[in-house]
Amino acid sequence: MAITWYLVTSAIVFTIGAAGVLVRRNPLVILLCIELMLNAANLALVAFARANGNEDGQVFAVIVMVVAACEVAVGLGLIVALYRRKLPIDVDELRELQG
Amino acid sequence: MSSQLTIHLSILLYWPAAFALLGAIAPRRIAPAMALIGALIPLGYAVVLLIDFDAARGQTLQYVTDAKWIPDLGIRYKLGIDGLNLWLVALTTLISAASALWVAFRPTERPRLFAFHFGVAETAVLGAFLAQDLALFVLFFDLMLVPFYFLVGQWGGPARVAATVKMVIYTLVGSLLMLAGAVATATLADAGPGGGISFVLSDLVRAPLPESTQRWVFITFALAFLIKMPAFPFHGWMPDTYRNMPLPVLAIFSAVLSKVAAYGFLRVALPLFPDAAVDFQLTILILALVSIVYGSAMAFTTREVRLVLGYSSIAQLGFITLGIFSLTSKGAQGAILQMVNHGLVVAPLFFIVALLAERSHGSESLRDMGGIAFRGPVLATLFLIVALATLAMPGSANFVGEFLILLGLFEAKRAIAIIAFLGVAMASVYMLRAYIRAMHNRTGTEVESRDISVRDGLVLVPLVLAIIAFALYPQAALDDGEKGVQAAVRPAQQAAQPTDTVAEATP
Amino acid sequence: METVKTFGWMVLLFPLLGTVVIGLFRRFLPGKAPGYVGTLAIAAAFASAVVVFLNLQNLGEEERQVRAVAWDYATTLGVDAQLSLLIDPLSVLMILVVTGVSMLIHIYSISYMGSDRGYTRFFAYLNFFVFSMLLLVLAGNFLMLIAGWAFVGAASYLLISFWYRRTTATAAGIKAFVINVVGDVGLVIGTYFIFRGTGSLDFLKSFASVQDAFATNDGELVAGCIGLLVGAFAKSAQVPLHTWLPDAMEGPTPVSALIHAATMVTAGVYLIARMHPLFEQAPAAADVGAIVGCLTLLIAASIGLVVTDLKRVIAYSTMSQIGYMVMGVASGAYAAGLFHLMTHAFFKALLFMAAGSVIAAMAGNQDLDKMGGFRRAMPFTFGCMIIGGLALSGIPPFSGFFSKDEILAYVAARDDWHVVLAALGYVGALLTAIYTFRMIFRAFLGEPVPEARELEEGHLHHAEVHTNPATGEEEDTDVGFPGPDHHIAEREGSMKIAMGVLAILAIVGGFLQIPGVTHALDHFLEPTFADSRLFEEIEPSDTVEYGGLVLGAAMGLLGIGIAYLLWVRNPERPAAIRARLRAPYALFSHKWYFDELINGLIVRPFAWFGRFARGTFERLVVNGLFVGGTSGAVRAGSSAVRAAQSGFLRYYAALLLIGLTAVGLYFLLAAS
Repeated sequence: MAITWYLVTSAIVFTIGAAGVLVRRNPLVILLCIELMLNAANLALVAFARANGNEDGQVFAVIVMVVAACEVAVGLGLIVALYRRKLPIDVDELRELQG
Repeated sequence: MSSQLTIHLSILLYWPAAFALLGAIAPRRIAPAMALIGALIPLGYAVVLLIDFDAARGQTLQYVTDAKWIPDLGIRYKLGIDGLNLWLVALTTLISAASALWVAFRPTERPRLFAFHFGVAETAVLGAFLAQDLALFVLFFDLMLVPFYFLVGQWGGPARVAATVKMVIYTLVGSLLMLAGAVATATLADAGPGGGISFVLSDLVRAPLPESTQRWVFITFALAFLIKMPAFPFHGWMPDTYRNMPLPVLAIFSAVLSKVAAYGFLRVALPLFPDAAVDFQLTILILALVSIVYGSAMAFTTREVRLVLGYSSIAQLGFITLGIFSLTSKGAQGAILQMVNHGLVVAPLFFIVALLAERSHGSESLRDMGGIAFRGPVLATLFLIVALATLAMPGSANFVGEFLILLGLFEAKRAIAIIAFLGVAMASVYMLRAYIRAMHNRTGTEVESRDISVRDGLVLVPLVLAIIAFALYPQAALDDGEKGVQAAVRPAQQAAQPTDTVAEATP
Repeated sequence: METVKTFGWMVLLFPLLGTVVIGLFRRFLPGKAPGYVGTLAIAAAFASAVVVFLNLQNLGEEERQVRAVAWDYATTLGVDAQLSLLIDPLSVLMILVVTGVSMLIHIYSISYMGSDRGYTRFFAYLNFFVFSMLLLVLAGNFLMLIAGWAFVGAASYLLISFWYRRTTATAAGIKAFVINVVGDVGLVIGTYFIFRGTGSLDFLKSFASVQDAFATNDGELVAGCIGLLVGAFAKSAQVPLHTWLPDAMEGPTPVSALIHAATMVTAGVYLIARMHPLFEQAPAAADVGAIVGCLTLLIAASIGLVVTDLKRVIAYSTMSQIGYMVMGVASGAYAAGLFHLMTHAFFKALLFMAAGSVIAAMAGNQDLDKMGGFRRAMPFTFGCMIIGGLALSGIPPFSGFFSKDEILAYVAARDDWHVVLAALGYVGALLTAIYTFRMIFRAFLGEPVPEARELEEGHLHHAEVHTNPATGEEEDTDVGFPGPDHHIAEREGSMKIAMGVLAILAIVGGFLQIPGVTHALDHFLEPTFADSRLFEEIEPSDTVEYGGLVLGAAMGLLGIGIAYLLWVRNPERPAAIRARLRAPYALFSHKWYFDELINGLIVRPFAWFGRFARGTFERLVVNGLFVGGTSGAVRAGSSAVRAAQSGFLRYYAALLLIGLTAVGLYFLLAAS
């Protein structure tokens, strides 16, 4: 099967994720969208690995998964902390780090 | 390239940092002791190196550590000692040990953090002296800034924040230029063994850049070094930084850091860019000359003792630069000696400033001092010996350094040498003025004269003894340095007279 | 040979040891012990010097130039400086004079400084000074010489500002030091020129090759010798580098005797004599030396006529006498110059000691206007002063008579125009006699002042409130100021001994070299000057020699007569003469305006430059342009970037995506 299908799927999933990050304001949803983008990337990596016949891409995919897991842990922790401190769950309101 | 691994220099290099870490996690009370151990062992190491060093092979690196580090970029972890840096390494360890001892007797606030930054600072300086790879040198050169940034920013005087900003921004600009220059040198030279990139200095020396390239790369390095020294007119960061730096830190800063810059000229700028060094010789000589006169004039108009020393350092570094850019081996030999000498005298002077301030109600202004010798004959004697050595009185090793510097310069550029003698006479004016106004004359209103304590003596007396010993036998450093400086200066000499055979070439 | 070397080093080491012992063990040396230790150290050095002298005389004439090397000092890259001594008749003569006179001055000081709170420190300094001076005269190469040269300057600084809480003393000290550093610089530059030619810093090697390296009056060599002369002028207080010497009288009187009469100021004379092979190859430079020496002897003598400070009169007379010596050795009259150096050390130290005794009787006051009639109160001091004064004025058979006239005779015999210098020297001799006896008459003859009466009644005057005689500021008597008690020769045995010995030497010292009778010094010095053309060549004819003796004696007697007429017989006359000759008087009493000249030409411009650098340049250019410019640029750049940091997360994400897309597009387009 041609690699194109995998890449197209990956691209669609990535675009959905990216659009989600840009459009939505709830940090939880943004986090989910980032996961989507990461998985799109994973898909592409594995597809390329398969197509090229070496395992480097798969290794990368595993690393991305680990990173994703870490990121979810930290991100969810942050959201819970926001919730507990009764801060608005809205990324547009949380902008104290401006320069 | 085969990799050599002699562990000695790595131990010497990382020992202070390791104990800095220990100091950071140790109980508060023994944190200064950790810093002290971290400084004393390298001192012992350095003494052994001084004894063991083979002066007859002074031009070749000894105790080399050479390992693969980032092969793709041609960067190697290469450390080594030759005639150029042997005594400077020893100086660094000695001054650090003295300063650590001082701090152990007068603990600062937040001693653990202090010990940490202190140790890292020594490692960074030693790294800059030992590095034999351009990237490694730049790395350590920039790393030096970090601990001092914190040391001034947290333990400094009232205007410390403004001072740190000034110092960091100004010197960092120079460092970044140098980084760019270093990258350019390595990529343009393609000096690696297989024709690839290499940052190793010995490779780069073998593959000099074309003259036009050398010129602008040289400018980046020269700017970085001149700012660090500091030399006129790039010394603007110095007064504020000196005013606000805690004295034991300032002792190291002034004694050693400025020498890294001067050393950089000898280690990097002259061998790598010989044609540019010849082209810019006159420019730099004139800058150095102005530094001498300007620094001296400032030193005898300022009332703050610290700044007298600060500006006098500008003048002294001017002499060292003159020696290096005389492009003669005599001048460079004198410069090396003078770097050690200046470090050796300026560090005790800063400790003495602390003692003076303790006796004049915390003020470091000459106006509030006077008559401190009254009940402090030992302090007065120590101060006098150091002050006389600082003004390079004949009979001190400082004089031998100046003698060689100016002799080299006299043979190369006679007029400049004769003008530079102005600085010799002016040094006696500002140094004695500071001494007299602090120690002699009528006793100041707030002055409470007393002699030094045994603890202060433990720090000062060994340093003064080192000065005296060096005055009696400067030959020790000259023997070790001879071959090294000849090797460092030879490319520039050949560049200056490409057709003639160089007179001082050695077998 | 080995004995000579060993004891040569010992001459040098004893005073150093004395300093160290006194310095380190000051707590364990009770009462006057530091003084005895110091004196003992110098006595040991003197004894060693005698041993060196005797052993050197046992060697053959050609072997009497001994190099003693301790270790390599700075031997690198063609520079060949070792820690070496050169022991030859010239340096042996110098060490004998230096240690001998210093020993007597130490003995004198034990009493004179007895009640000073800085007694211990004083002897530590004094020993260090003697060490420095011995290093200077024994040095075997240029670098050692320069080291000794500078040590002497530093030691004299310490001793001049010995009473360091007096601002006048510290000002005089720094002045002396700085002018001496100017001399050091001259010496170093001179050394560079000579080293470049001869390729060695060692004296003997350098001298041996000087004729091959330089043509006669070679520009390089003349420049080098002028450099050496600058060094000599600064140390020996020759115009225009003399202004430190009168001010240096702020120091305690034994210091004036030691440094400013007997030893340090003669270093320039020694230098020129030591460097004679160079100067003979560069006669142009030697002529400069001779002329400056002659000028100095006249200028100093003229100032000596009007100064009213007792010690400064003697100081100016020292300058003037050194002028004779410099003129002598620069004209090739080496033995004569050194002969005068030796006799001068005797009688000038004696004069200073006598003056110290008078000053002590005046409770520290040095003003001649306030003195008078001490003749009966202080007969011993008076006698010593007269002997010293007669020797200084060149009255036969005192020592100064033979030595001064020998200089003038040899200078006159050198060649035609040197005769002019010699003639001016005789004018100087007249002035010398006048100011010397003006000083003696005013201090000792006439109506006794209250202090003298008090002393006649057996009670030494003490000031109620101690003040600085120069400014009138009140002082206490603790460390850093003069001690509470004063000591005079009439009562203190050790002062009497020192002065007595010097008085005898001042009388008989001249018999070493009586024209036509004895030539002890000539013979002794011959090995050093064996390579000199002038040493053998210049031989004054009998007429010149004996005529000169008569003329010199006549000038001296005439001067004393004038002084007697003016200050004893008609004490009102000097004021009348002053009124009539207002212009010369102003010139003399303002010391020929040298201080003002140096101030205006050097000190003020530098101070102005310093102020300008500090107030204007540093602020505007260094801090404004460079630091301000750099950090300003960084700040402007950062504020531009800061605007992008809005804090909107989605804005950042959008930027990121746009960036990524742009990069991706670029690669796509670049690939296709």
